[in-house]
Amino acid sequence: MKHLSDQELMRIVQAGDSSPASEIYDRYSARIYNFAFRFLKNAEAAEDATQEVFVKMIRHAKQFHGDAKLSTWLFSITANWCRDHLRKADNRAKESDDVLVTLPAPGELSPERNLERRENELRVRRALNALTPEQREAILLSRYQGLSYAEIAQIAGCSEGAVKTRVFRAMETLKKALTGQAGGGDRCLNVIS
Amino acid sequence: MSECHLVRESMPLLLVEALERGERERAHQHIEDCGDCSDEWAAYRETWRSMGDLPELEVPVRVRARFLDAAGVAEPAPASRVRNVVPFRRRPAAKWLAQAAAVVVIAGGSWFAGTRTTVLDGARTPATIASITPAPYSIAEERIIPASEISPHIVGRPDIQNVQFLDPQGDKVGLSFDVTSRVTVTGSPGDRSMVRLLSYVLENENSMAQPRSRAIEWVKQTYSDPQFADPEIAGALARLLRSDEHEGVRIRAAETLKTMPAPAASATRAALIEALKNDPNPAVRIKAVEALANLSQSGEVFDPVTIDTLREKAAQSDENLYVRAKAAEVLSSVKLQ
Repeated sequence: MKHLSDQELMRIVQAGDSSPASEIYDRYSARIYNFAFRFLKNAEAAEDATQEVFVKMIRHAKQFHGDAKLSTWLFSITANWCRDHLRKADNRAKESDDVLVTLPAPGELSPERNLERRENELRVRRALNALTPEQREAILLSRYQGLSYAEIAQIAGCSEGAVKTRVFRAMETLKKALTGQAGGGDRCLNVIS
Repeated sequence: MSECHLVRESMPLLLVEALERGERERAHQHIEDCGDCSDEWAAYRETWRSMGDLPELEVPVRVRARFLDAAGVAEPAPASRVRNVVPFRRRPAAKWLAQAAAVVVIAGGSWFAGTRTTVLDGARTPATIASITPAPYSIAEERIIPASEISPHIVGRPDIQNVQFLDPQGDKVGLSFDVTSRVTVTGSPGDRSMVRLLSYVLENENSMAQPRSRAIEWVKQTYSDPQFADPEIAGALARLLRSDEHEGVRIRAAETLKTMPAPAASATRAALIEALKNDPNPAVRIKAVEALANLSQSGEVFDPVTIDTLREKAAQSDENLYVRAKAAEVLSSVKLQ
């Protein structure tokens, strides 16, 4: 299966044969899981999201159009799942930003560098958490998944212009949190709409 | 709207190299000239870099098991090794080659047998070929030869394999086998038969990586010359790049595609993109992105899928730095469809 393209694998799934599912899972699960984890700030929910996204992929395979990228479609399902999850107020209580304690320390770094890195991780995570869900979704897909604004717009169900605004505002917030530099742009910029 | 406003608004796009070339150059020129925007750009880049410190987490293995269980999908059996060798199995595409080789073998063997039998006492068997048509030589063929028409003397030690004993029919018995002989084919690199033969050899050479790499190297020296550039050779290399299990072979295939002139190599763009996206070996990805860079420089027009892949690579934080830089470089010179 490894030599088949995403589209070819999906055509097999669409024909009712789920055997390529594990190959598709292996290709995309890490990206889906990391996106969900950063979006939801919750490891347990990210696991559920990853599992359910791939189950939906099989059950709704016929909704996938061969001219689209499979990654875009999977991120659409993931983002929908995450948005639904966030809408449920009782899930907020589960959110946590202290997951750093569960991460293994990179072995090759010195203790000082390791500490510095962990502190930076924590700052980045907190800065991301301070964004609105829409901004966080857009910046995660742009920065960590390398998707184009057009793809993000398709996933988020909005215009490319809206994506541009969300990424810009997210970057302004992150810049302030991570470099201490308040929107230098404010000196000569009106906030773009 | 001020120039500063426009430039700062486009900084996120500038970070991912998603601006068109002209806009990008104008933005960088402005950043160089404007102190405020220069500070802003530095802060953007620092923010972007800091965000890269977030580690990529591994998906817990239980998630996979849960998914397969929930989807009712059985865990696939361990993948068997991909075999690229098709031993002694004729392919339809090479059938005419097979036929030609057989004629060479018959003619050569008969001549050889004929010369030997002149010094022997045994009954001489004529080296006649019952029917030879104007068709070209063939490299392999399945044929039935009456025992009375071959020399009773076996010269040397031919490599006989896959022997099968046929059931007696009337007063006749038979045995069937594969036998190897040495054939030398000469011709211009541009001869269609030579191209077809080389394509076949590239894909079916011994499963060991070294002979195939040697074949690729030879092809590279011969077919990088624009006058002999051939899409069929490029296609064979693309198939190796896609599916060969030996990374050394895939590296050489991508490297050779890089040296091939655009008219021949352009049809292999999908394979290059696939290698850039999915090949686990960074050296293969480097050669693939270099080949794409050459295509771009030669004026090749890229489709949106190619552009998207290059963009993804340029922005992928855990990708090899050279691949990222090269992908960004290609994007800067690319022509859109």
